[in-house]
Amino acid sequence: MKRGALKRALGIYWWVLLFFLYLPLAVVVLFSFNSINSAAIFESFSLRWYYRLLANDQIMSALWHSIVLAMSSSVIAVLLGTLIGYGLYRHRRRGLGWLIVLIYLPIVMPDIVFGIADMTFFVRINALTGWLAPGLGPMILSHVTFEIPFVALIVYSRFVGLDPTLFDAAKDLYASPVKRAWHFIVPAIKPALISAFFLSFTLSIDDFVISFFTSGPESSTLPIYIWGAIRKGVTPEINAIATLMIAAVIVAAIISLLVTRRRPQTPPEGR
Amino acid sequence: MPPSFEVSRRSLKWRETRHLLLTTAPGALWIVIFLVLPSLYLVSMAFMTNGPYGQPGMPLSLDAFRQLAGFGFLGWSPGNLYTLLRSIWQTIVATGLVVVLSYPIAYYITTCRASLRPIMLLAVVVPSWTNQVIRTFGWMNLLAPETPLSDAAQFLGLIPEHMGLFPSSFAVTLGLVYNFLPFMVLPLYAAFEKLDTTLIEAAIDLYASPMRAFWAAVFPQTLPGLLAGVVLVAVPAFGMYVVPELLGGGRSMMIGNLVAGQFTGASNWPYGAAAALLMLAATLIGIFLLRRLGKRAGGGEEVVI
Repeated sequence: MKRGALKRALGIYWWVLLFFLYLPLAVVVLFSFNSINSAAIFESFSLRWYYRLLANDQIMSALWHSIVLAMSSSVIAVLLGTLIGYGLYRHRRRGLGWLIVLIYLPIVMPDIVFGIADMTFFVRINALTGWLAPGLGPMILSHVTFEIPFVALIVYSRFVGLDPTLFDAAKDLYASPVKRAWHFIVPAIKPALISAFFLSFTLSIDDFVISFFTSGPESSTLPIYIWGAIRKGVTPEINAIATLMIAAVIVAAIISLLVTRRRPQTPPEGR
Repeated sequence: MPPSFEVSRRSLKWRETRHLLLTTAPGALWIVIFLVLPSLYLVSMAFMTNGPYGQPGMPLSLDAFRQLAGFGFLGWSPGNLYTLLRSIWQTIVATGLVVVLSYPIAYYITTCRASLRPIMLLAVVVPSWTNQVIRTFGWMNLLAPETPLSDAAQFLGLIPEHMGLFPSSFAVTLGLVYNFLPFMVLPLYAAFEKLDTTLIEAAIDLYASPMRAFWAAVFPQTLPGLLAGVVLVAVPAFGMYVVPELLGGGRSMMIGNLVAGQFTGASNWPYGAAAALLMLAATLIGIFLLRRLGKRAGGGEEVVI
């Protein structure tokens, strides 16, 4: 029974790996309920840090900035990225090499170079014209830039998975291009649009480096606030806010699992 | 009626081009304006001179590159060279560890019930959906002095008394492995799922040892997935900023920290821009080499990055 032994060893290894993956998150969650300000000794259960969180205006405004940034950048990125995805699909027989390179550029560009390039560029534009002062505006512009490729690729792969004769059917019915787009194309790719929106949203909430360099003093997002608190060594409420962010991710994961369960034909996506 | 046919064909072609422009131009222009132009500006900045207040300006010079190569007021120092080599070394070590850790897991998931697999994949990916600052903060808490892990390391004599496991190069490696492991599991899993098992049966029929059967019949089939994973892990690991900044000390600095330092603390934008160029060049060379390797290994099959 050598094969059985291998399978059992792999099974044990699986749980060890999961332990490794969830340990740092579990520590953050556990100590968010600590009654004293310590990351080493757990004294007793308390919701103290959560109350302090609600009273902390800086954290609340950082949360608000994170949500505004993720929402607005995802909406714009889904619009522009879907158009690109459709264009890529319709004209896939043409040589679109330059476009593919352009679309992959934000993905392969190291975050730090991306952030610094945008920061210096925005500072320069601001010095010349007075536009794009550091703040949420430039942050949205940057976030849209790195979200577009993911939307385009998701939408494109959805189109590839569709039956191409459906397009001709819509044309045969003499539908105008706008009507075709609204009544036929959008419903057909709706699952891809939803997952593209959620992926954009997650990417935006997850991003620290690019936000960090393009933000201004009045536009800190949650990761930027957390970063600052860690650097300053003042971290009591950090565990609590981090726990809420982890909880949000786990809820999102469960929703995505339920959605993909319902639609087994949707191709798997993700970074 | 050839003339009108000719006209309609031309108008059709124009309509197709117009369609292509209408759909792709807005997004493409967005990327050009907010990424390509800024990058070109950054490139040009590397050839400028640092002003008295840290802002770049004229005249054009190669000072930034001289400084990057290690020439300063006090003669040549190998600091930056070490930082570059350290970044490459950390990337190689972390990527290697990620491959070794992910390979059995990707295989294991394919052996489980089909209904369980999406849940297992999700379980691996979910930690990477949380913010990287939070994940790294979790490790800071775990590796700090007077925590069980640090105490155990002290007991084994691995670190001096009253010290934590961070800041250290070890902590940076750990952080990199932790951050990028899921990026390797996903493509490897896809490769294992497509595995043609008849090849393994053939190898066993030919009395190949399990080892031999693995290297001859399994490994080559998973290689394209593995190389795709290597690109997904190595590229962001090389450019990592958060992990070495929080988990590493001054002696575990990576090139991302060198770049960022010139724009946050010690303002020297041309110098930082030159370092960013070096980083970008190294990244592109790495991707190019991996793609060539992938094409050779995959027998012409394109490795998607």
